[in-house]
Amino acid sequence: MKTSTLALISLLSFVLGTVVGLIIGPIISPQTPQTRAFPEDSAWRKESIRVVGSTTVLPIGSECAKAFMKKYKTVKITVEGGGSGRGYKELIDGVCQIGMASRPPKEKELELARKKGVFLVLHKIAVDAIAIVVHPSVVERLGGEPLKLTLEDVGKIFAGKYTRWSEVDPRLPDEEIVVFTREHGSGTRDTFEKFCLKPFGLKLKPGASEVPSNPTMRLSVEKTPYSIGYLGMGFLKGGVVAVHLAEKKGELYYEPTRENAIAGIYPIVRYLYLVTNGIPESGSLIDRFIDFVKSPEGQSIVEKCGFIAMYPRQGD
Amino acid sequence: MGIISNPPSLLNIIDFMKKKGAIIEIVLAIVSLSSVLILILIVVFVFNEALPALLFLGPRLILGGKWAPYYEEYGALPLILGSLLVVLGSALIAVPLGVLSAIFLTEYLPRSLGEPLRSIIELLGTIPSIIYGFLGMIFIAPVISNLFEVPLGKTALTGSIVLSIMIVPTIVSISSEVIASVPKEYKMAALALGATKWQCIKSVILPTAMPGIFASILLALGRAIGETIAVLMVCGCVPIIPSPPWNYLSPVHTLTSAIALDMGEVAIGSLHYHVLFGLGVILMLITFTVNTIADILLKKAPRSVIRV
Amino acid sequence: MKKYRFLEKFIFISLSLPVTALILCFLWILVSIGVEGVKSLSWKFLITSVMDGGIFESIVGTLYMLGGAVTIATPIGVATAVYLAEYAKGGKIARIIIQAIHNIAGIPSIIFGLFGYTFFCTFLGFGISLLSGWLTLACMILPIIVSGSYEAISMVPLSFKKAAIALGASKLRVIRDVVIPTAAPGIATSIILGISRVAGETAAILFTSCVYLTNGLPSNPLQPVMTLTYNLFGMLVATPRDSLGDAFAMALVLLMIVIVLNTFAYFMRIYYRRRWNI
Repeated sequence: MKTSTLALISLLSFVLGTVVGLIIGPIISPQTPQTRAFPEDSAWRKESIRVVGSTTVLPIGSECAKAFMKKYKTVKITVEGGGSGRGYKELIDGVCQIGMASRPPKEKELELARKKGVFLVLHKIAVDAIAIVVHPSVVERLGGEPLKLTLEDVGKIFAGKYTRWSEVDPRLPDEEIVVFTREHGSGTRDTFEKFCLKPFGLKLKPGASEVPSNPTMRLSVEKTPYSIGYLGMGFLKGGVVAVHLAEKKGELYYEPTRENAIAGIYPIVRYLYLVTNGIPESGSLIDRFIDFVKSPEGQSIVEKCGFIAMYPRQGD
Repeated sequence: MGIISNPPSLLNIIDFMKKKGAIIEIVLAIVSLSSVLILILIVVFVFNEALPALLFLGPRLILGGKWAPYYEEYGALPLILGSLLVVLGSALIAVPLGVLSAIFLTEYLPRSLGEPLRSIIELLGTIPSIIYGFLGMIFIAPVISNLFEVPLGKTALTGSIVLSIMIVPTIVSISSEVIASVPKEYKMAALALGATKWQCIKSVILPTAMPGIFASILLALGRAIGETIAVLMVCGCVPIIPSPPWNYLSPVHTLTSAIALDMGEVAIGSLHYHVLFGLGVILMLITFTVNTIADILLKKAPRSVIRV
Repeated sequence: MKKYRFLEKFIFISLSLPVTALILCFLWILVSIGVEGVKSLSWKFLITSVMDGGIFESIVGTLYMLGGAVTIATPIGVATAVYLAEYAKGGKIARIIIQAIHNIAGIPSIIFGLFGYTFFCTFLGFGISLLSGWLTLACMILPIIVSGSYEAISMVPLSFKKAAIALGASKLRVIRDVVIPTAAPGIATSIILGISRVAGETAAILFTSCVYLTNGLPSNPLQPVMTLTYNLFGMLVATPRDSLGDAFAMALVLLMIVIVLNTFAYFMRIYYRRRWNI
């Protein structure tokens, strides 16, 4: 066969592939005619929204969106991470309809929102604790005893006041501390700095490696010896070791567990939010989705993701 | 009378066709100028968004040594140095590899073998950068970590290694063409005078092809500076100036990965947003300079068609 | 004499090392992705929706993205090449256009992302959408199509054109019926190369058109889309998982697309050269 014919065939098959995709795509995509069943109530079923923001809230948003879309097949909910900063940004820019945030808005974000006529409304959907995690190599020599640090100790480590683990505690290995932090818009980072750095007038050291999400933080700490990082307790799994925290020296040290968080004795606790521009219109997809997340089914998903439900769960 | 006064004469038809031809030519000219329009739009819009940052920060943007947007410090020096380190490192690896490969492929191998091998190497250059980043992250970073006993395997060295493989094909491809188009008379003359193959290459072919080879290196460097995804995944994303500055085992952050990472979360209109476009402007200036020099050099080299 | 012969052999062997190393690199890349990817690659994986763990919408999304971008870029690119080669050859306008094309080609892809975001998404108001992606990628493909088509059209032998003119054809006729068909393989090659260039593109569409998860495919170009590159990026950097099997499979699909496209382009170039004895 002539090569030019071959080339023409390849080009044609590429075009054909696209056309076939165009045809098969909508068929495989769920498009059941539920709109016909509820004519009065149907406007929201044809809506499509974007839910963007905190990677801490992302598993909750993602799973809830999936469950919601499985129930009401015609709606379209796009869920994306990027950090609380991104969530606020997209909400203010009008590019998303619901923001996910693991922190309240910053001054600058409030200012920008005001300037653009956006009115930020926060909906609490879960409670979270931030765990400080280290690579197992750090606690090897402690012989099963947990690593106990105060908030100030943690702050000093992240600020670079301690550069080697042996400076923190002589029992720890004499190795350089590798510090991981989150990207600047991260709600988790904001909360962390609020508890561990700001009160002591400390700033994160420049040599900290930035990672873009909670799962990346966990994997980075898990894979890098002598490293330390922080993440939402829903991501506390696998090969990282949680630090036991005390608010001040002389107080008791607590693990980041669900019980400790609910009892209020674990030092770093925060709310997780869904954020909207103004109060969502009653009956709209935004309204229904937020209600779904607060519903027993949604709150069960919250717990399943490793966070603490705020409202009654299914079966409570 | 009526028939004679308006016959569809040959002159009329030719006139019509000329007009049609003229219209077509104008239409094509307008369409072609769209490329110029696109370039102007890119420059205008990127500069426009960068302006607030450039005005507000001034030289601090380039000379400031601390990149910490969280604390509102926007000194891009660590980023510029990071980019430079990674690019220079990749050049140190890619230039010898590339130039020597080009020489081998064009002068020492018969065309039937040289051409396919060259195409395979060019294929290396078309592999998406995300795959390079992927492999670098999974396979090369741990090796660096173990070999040099650094806990974090994502370093400037890792970035240089990955980047070098990505830019070698550019060097090989263009250098091969340049070397192959050195006039055969030069070679014949040298060989006739009794030179060995290597002497011929060293004293005749290489000097003639040097502008072109140098241009290929510059083009490769231009591509390296603009590489985003692969360096983002293997360089560590730590915006510091390594101590000492030539410490390749330190993680670094580059201009491109800073833009890519931060762009997702800056609200339009915030200073950080404008600073990122400012970084884009710096990037564009660097690549524009490098590519222009390369273009000038390529015009001097013995080639017959324009190439992108 | 013997010394030279030994030296030459030594040089030959040393010079063969870089090439061997590069070829081995290439094979290593293919093998690493191939072996690991095949483990997790199955027909089911390709067909299942992303919501259920497959990559169907990513693949179709990528096809949509590439299809649209190349459809926009090809007419403009070929028209520009025709104009440069046939109408304005060597003139001042041609030089300006060629310089512009060169400059666009040298712009890093992340800058296209910035430009796409501020111009297509914000200024023109298309938002994060398939359309923004199409336009941004079209700008990137344009230089490749223009330069490749220009080369192809320039290589059409003058005798062909003269013969057509001698038979009384107008300039337009000559272009339409002689030049373009003759240059067609070359033009097609440049189109395929353009597609493969942006098939693996992540930075440009990172914040102009893609999302990680959505329900189904975009029903109109103003909606965002899922693509292989973006989802792979998400899987590796933004939301990494413990097992990389899926990532390898996606990388394999992406790699195959790019290699197939480039191999076709390569064979077309060979055919073209052989036909015109270049």
